[in-house]
Amino acid sequence: MSFALLAPLGLAALAALALPLLIHLVRRLELKTTDFAALRWVAERMRPQRRLRFERPWLLLMRLVLLALFALLLARPVWNGDAPPTRVWTVVAPGVALADARAAAGAGDSEWHRLAPGFPRMDETEAPAQIATASLLRELDAQLPPGVALTVVVPETLSGLDGEKPRLSRAVEWRVVPGKMPDRPAVPGKPFHLAVRYAAQSEDSLRYLRAAVVAWNQSGRRHCELDAQPAEAPVAETSDALIWLAPSSSVLNRWLDRGGVALAANHPGNEGEPLWRDATGNVLARTVANGHGRLIALPGALTPDQLPMLLDADFPERLRVVLGDVLSAPTQAQAAAMRPTADAATAGSQASRLHAARPLDAWLALLIAAVFLFERVVATWPRTEREA
Amino acid sequence: MTSLIPPELRARLRDLRLAARGGAGGDGLGQHASRSRGAGLEFAQYRAYEPGDELRRIDWKLYARSDRYFVREAERDSPLTAWAIVDASASMRQADAARPGYAKLDAAKTLAACVFELALRQGDRFGLIALAATAPTFVPAGAGSRQRDRCLLELARLQAAGRWPEAAALRPLWERVQPSAVVVMFSDFFDDEAVELALRLAAARREVLTVQMLSAEERDFPFAGGHRLRDPESRAERRVEASAVRKDYLERFAAARAELARRFGAAGIRHVEYVLDRPLDEPLRTFFAPGATRASGGGGAA
Repeated sequence: MSFALLAPLGLAALAALALPLLIHLVRRLELKTTDFAALRWVAERMRPQRRLRFERPWLLLMRLVLLALFALLLARPVWNGDAPPTRVWTVVAPGVALADARAAAGAGDSEWHRLAPGFPRMDETEAPAQIATASLLRELDAQLPPGVALTVVVPETLSGLDGEKPRLSRAVEWRVVPGKMPDRPAVPGKPFHLAVRYAAQSEDSLRYLRAAVVAWNQSGRRHCELDAQPAEAPVAETSDALIWLAPSSSVLNRWLDRGGVALAANHPGNEGEPLWRDATGNVLARTVANGHGRLIALPGALTPDQLPMLLDADFPERLRVVLGDVLSAPTQAQAAAMRPTADAATAGSQASRLHAARPLDAWLALLIAAVFLFERVVATWPRTEREA
Repeated sequence: MTSLIPPELRARLRDLRLAARGGAGGDGLGQHASRSRGAGLEFAQYRAYEPGDELRRIDWKLYARSDRYFVREAERDSPLTAWAIVDASASMRQADAARPGYAKLDAAKTLAACVFELALRQGDRFGLIALAATAPTFVPAGAGSRQRDRCLLELARLQAAGRWPEAAALRPLWERVQPSAVVVMFSDFFDDEAVELALRLAAARREVLTVQMLSAEERDFPFAGGHRLRDPESRAERRVEASAVRKDYLERFAAARAELARRFGAAGIRHVEYVLDRPLDEPLRTFFAPGATRASGGGGAA
């Protein structure tokens, strides 16, 4: 139940109010000449005062109102729809027993919903197994009109979070009950395909790459499949990254043009951003935009004497980051630590307030027409004797 | 010519009588023949004969009964002379915004015509003095309907312009207006010379009646807002804020009118104000209604 302006700068048109004021003012300064024989008894000291007087005040008022309405129309007023019937929402995250939730939230007069896409009512659906908790919280906060109190019942262990604590536009009643939200499956479906093409003299480097892949696969994260073949073999389209241990060729260029990521040894050059440096600051690898793709260029061969970090324990991880199979942020946390913070900045810029706004332009235009009609009537009204 | 007097006004003149407060007979009782009969030949009294009375005025029948000489006296109004003095200075051009075509001079002309009408009806003599800017116009006193027409013609020609005439131009007035004549003066008395003239006439044994002609605007000052007021005689201008000046003006103007009435009253002048939005016979009724004159004067024999 509120009134808002979509373009408040339109109110600058209120400056036009000065126009009718001036028009009605200027004509007032004239003096009427009257023959008056009894002039002797008129006091001389009473000069006409240049008072700011307005001629025909009703007409002036009409015109001022008309201009003000025009300015309002320019400012695009909207009417925010009626308040929702319920003022308290309680959402229950998966993994919480209903009895626990009722006990935690208390017997208030509130609407019960699941923290699930679409926010279904409590009794309508089963709890989903897997949700993006933080994202849903933000969506719910944006959808609810301001003024609705929000209570969230969560289990002790939350999953489906993202990098930071959720920041919402309102203060949230954060109730933690015993329970655990099911985590997402440990292994995502699709393995990471790494293609290696090598020339005969670079076959020694394969040992380090194989070792790196084994290290990846033992870390329990996304499975990596190595496809190591001589340089003449074609590169499969499904490959996620390419390591090129041969002289530069059209196969590599085509791969890069298609937007792939490739690591190429024996590729000297100065262009591109330094990626790896050794202890003395010499550049060991550069990353270069090439075609639509990205090329990681090693000036030397992929051997320990050229690239000592090949023997470091963290080389597999660094290689993996470079090739684009980035680590995902942790998604599980203790619920008590993830209490959402109320953020005034979010609240101020919240566009969701206008989700139920109705424009008032039509009504305003009707009003303007009516006032204009009145103004014309008043303007054409015969002047009274006093004014004439 | 009679269009100066509207018919309804003429109807209301019927019961008015032109009469002098001091009584007629300044010219002597029965000194000259009069065509008017009636009131003038009413018996008044007998008195004893005194040497010097005309023998023919002795009532011989009474002598036969009482063996004494008595002179029969008749109370008989000798015809009085009425003068209308109309001020035609520019200030008499003033008219009300509510009735633009009706100036103070127009009302004065009608009132003067009424005076002539009354005098004509009674067989009295009457004359007109119009004090216009260039030269005062005199219509010598006379009686009869031709005299009336002469006066009305002169009235019709009269235009309000200029200022009050010089004293030298007024000298013939003293020769023509005989003592004990009735002088009805129509003016706004905004000029001091007009007041002076009325006072001097009264002091010189003329019976003076004054009608102060005022417009409703002068009485009420109904203006609002800024005004440039212009005196039609002197062409002087004064810029005023009407609402601010109104109260002060009304007080001062009322005081001036009261002072004028006081001066006239002290000089024995019967004075009345006439405002343009009032009925025209009001001032005439004040002066000439039956009883109005007798109340203060009464016609005694000289």
